[in-house]
Amino acid sequence: MIIMATRFERQLEELHVQLITMGSLCEKAISLSARAIQGEGKTLSRLVFDTDKEIDAKEREIETQCMSLLLHQHPVARDLRQISSALKMVSDMERIGDQAADIADLALYIDQDAVCTSVDIVGIADETVKMVTESVDAFVKKDLDLCRKVIDEDDIVDNAFNKIKEQLAELIYGGKLDAKAGLDLLMTAKYFERIGDHAVNIAEWVEYSITGEHRNNEHQAYL
Amino acid sequence: MLESAVIMGIGLAFVLGILYHYFGKQISDELRKEATYLSQGVEEQGIEYLENIHDDDSRITYIQQDGTVLYDSQSEASEMENHSDRKEVKEALKQGVGQSSRISKTLSEKTIYFALRLSNGNVLRVSSTQYSILALVLELVQPMLWVVLLMMILAGIFASRIGQKIVEPINALDLEHPEDNQIYDEISPLLSRVYKQNRMIREQLELARQQQEEFSIITENMQEGLLIIDKYTMILSGNLSAWKLFKVRNSKIGESIYSLSRSEDFQKVISNVLSGKHEEKILKIDGRDVQIIANPVSRENETQGAVLLLMNVTEKVERENLRREFSANVSHELKTPLTSISGFAEIIEGGFVKEEDIKDFSGRIYNEAQRLISLIDDVIKISQLDEGEIPYEWSEQDLYKLSKEVFKSLEEAAKKKNVHLYISGKSIPFYTVRPILEEILYNLCDNAIKYNKNDGTVSIYLSETEQDVRISVKDTGIGIPKEDQNRIFERFYRVDKSHSKEIGGTGLGLSIVKHGVIFLGGSISVDSEEGMGTEMIVTLPRGMKKNEAEMCEKTKKMEK
Repeated sequence: MIIMATRFERQLEELHVQLITMGSLCEKAISLSARAIQGEGKTLSRLVFDTDKEIDAKEREIETQCMSLLLHQHPVARDLRQISSALKMVSDMERIGDQAADIADLALYIDQDAVCTSVDIVGIADETVKMVTESVDAFVKKDLDLCRKVIDEDDIVDNAFNKIKEQLAELIYGGKLDAKAGLDLLMTAKYFERIGDHAVNIAEWVEYSITGEHRNNEHQAYL
Repeated sequence: MLESAVIMGIGLAFVLGILYHYFGKQISDELRKEATYLSQGVEEQGIEYLENIHDDDSRITYIQQDGTVLYDSQSEASEMENHSDRKEVKEALKQGVGQSSRISKTLSEKTIYFALRLSNGNVLRVSSTQYSILALVLELVQPMLWVVLLMMILAGIFASRIGQKIVEPINALDLEHPEDNQIYDEISPLLSRVYKQNRMIREQLELARQQQEEFSIITENMQEGLLIIDKYTMILSGNLSAWKLFKVRNSKIGESIYSLSRSEDFQKVISNVLSGKHEEKILKIDGRDVQIIANPVSRENETQGAVLLLMNVTEKVERENLRREFSANVSHELKTPLTSISGFAEIIEGGFVKEEDIKDFSGRIYNEAQRLISLIDDVIKISQLDEGEIPYEWSEQDLYKLSKEVFKSLEEAAKKKNVHLYISGKSIPFYTVRPILEEILYNLCDNAIKYNKNDGTVSIYLSETEQDVRISVKDTGIGIPKEDQNRIFERFYRVDKSHSKEIGGTGLGLSIVKHGVIFLGGSISVDSEEGMGTEMIVTLPRGMKKNEAEMCEKTKKMEK
């Protein structure tokens, strides 16, 4: 079966592809930075920075595309939702890229042994990578259940962060960990926790573009 | 419109021309009659007669011989000039009658004169004014226009009525079945053309549908996944295998191919093929190895899309890995005894060995050489089973007898380990390849003894159903850990690598068993608990006749 698409549909599909590409760039950045923090910092950090730059470029490209679609095609209803949520999603994705780069930056200075032994940074990293992958998956497959799963998983990351925070405080207080290293670890954990939040945001926008309802109702007022 | 106007103009001019001419003649005839009639009156009564006549239509002039006007019915005679130079007067004076016509200065009127010479030599002239042709036309234009307008309106109404009437049945034509319509004979050629065209379209549609069907039958039955995408990465067509390969439930036609997989390598392949390069790669998709062959589709030197062929080569890749592992293992296993042999020989050659120890050393060299030989034997057996090159001969064998013979050959080994051997079951005649079945039983029992505990038992249970026979070899040995149970049939796989040397064996036994069972068309399963013992259950199909066995063999070869 051969499908003929109108110009507008074609452009929407192109936008979709661009978002998928940007999503997979985010996945790449975050999984690279997660590996960087686990001991391959020197070799991988540079890759993360490059990916971050790519993500930034992609964000601008997608924004331009969305604006042009809004101006030229005057989309309504579902199409409009798709484009407006795309606009919101790219800013979340861009933040993920930035924070992945921040983690990679810390990975250059951080004490690798401390990461593996003192607190469960690896656990929170893995969980966040999973969330980002799932949120992009949810977008690609337009899967509502997966959206909800990502939104629920945020609690796991939040709890993991709180646990790390308390452990670090204890370690530093007990003099078992250098305070500077402890702060670096705390920052890293926080970045992962923030990335989790952005993944949730993406999932919420995916949900909105499918159902037309956003979890935070104040968005409804002006969208 | 213009033409009809021109035609109307010409027609009007023609009619007017004829009428005008006719009327002109009529008038001049009338004038003649009137003049003749008047002339009699004037002859009798003189000029008074004229004065008594009131004629509005024509003008009567009475002219003296020298041209002086004596009477005129429309103007004062005394004021009028001399008329002797008028053409009609001149003619009348000369010939008795005269006639002429003059057109007024404004061209709007034409006056016809008729002059008659009376007996007294005076001339009586009667004239009548007629509109000129131009004036006539001008006069007629307005009513004509009204008439034309009216005609046009009427014509419009009638035309549309008639048109409707003609078109109505044509609109109601059933074009699907043009031959069934019966209206005008005039359209029947059209209808027959429509009919022909219909038939042609139907044939072409049918052809297209057939081709489509052929295509989909071919693609749907392909083991390989097939995807066709356009240059915007949108999927135009795909088959069932492709969706299965990407583990999507329904077809993704109309969506981007990146919705199937967005791994970096995959994206690279797609972007490369869309820039016009042929790509061939093995990618990991969902934990499986998928070989992807991508060909760009170009039209007019521009890539318009791509055709992707996807093959699940997980098994192939795994097999390749196994083979690689096998050759590495074989070389290692072969090297170990050889190293010992070479070492012993070197020591002896160096003269470091006392005369009385030579015997012991020779014994060691002999043992290692035997080990090497048995290893090579096993490798040969496996590769024969692998290639299906074993010179086999199907014959009737008794399972019970065979088991007994196997136990007999292992008696020595069992005694050494203090293991008791039991056979349970009755005589089961079975059509099989004796050396292979023997090899299977031998290896199973050999393992059962080797990995047994002191004072343990090995039992063979024989049973049969209509379709197959079951051989179960059960021991009370050390058992196999759960995580290793899947791997024990791999070549050179040892559960306990550190003690393999003491126990002996080549690590190929179970691999030979597995290949043998497959060769005989059966299956093997393991039931084991660590520390409790192991049960190996071989199920072989019954009545596997020679030719069937050959068939099985052939398909096996084809699979390779």
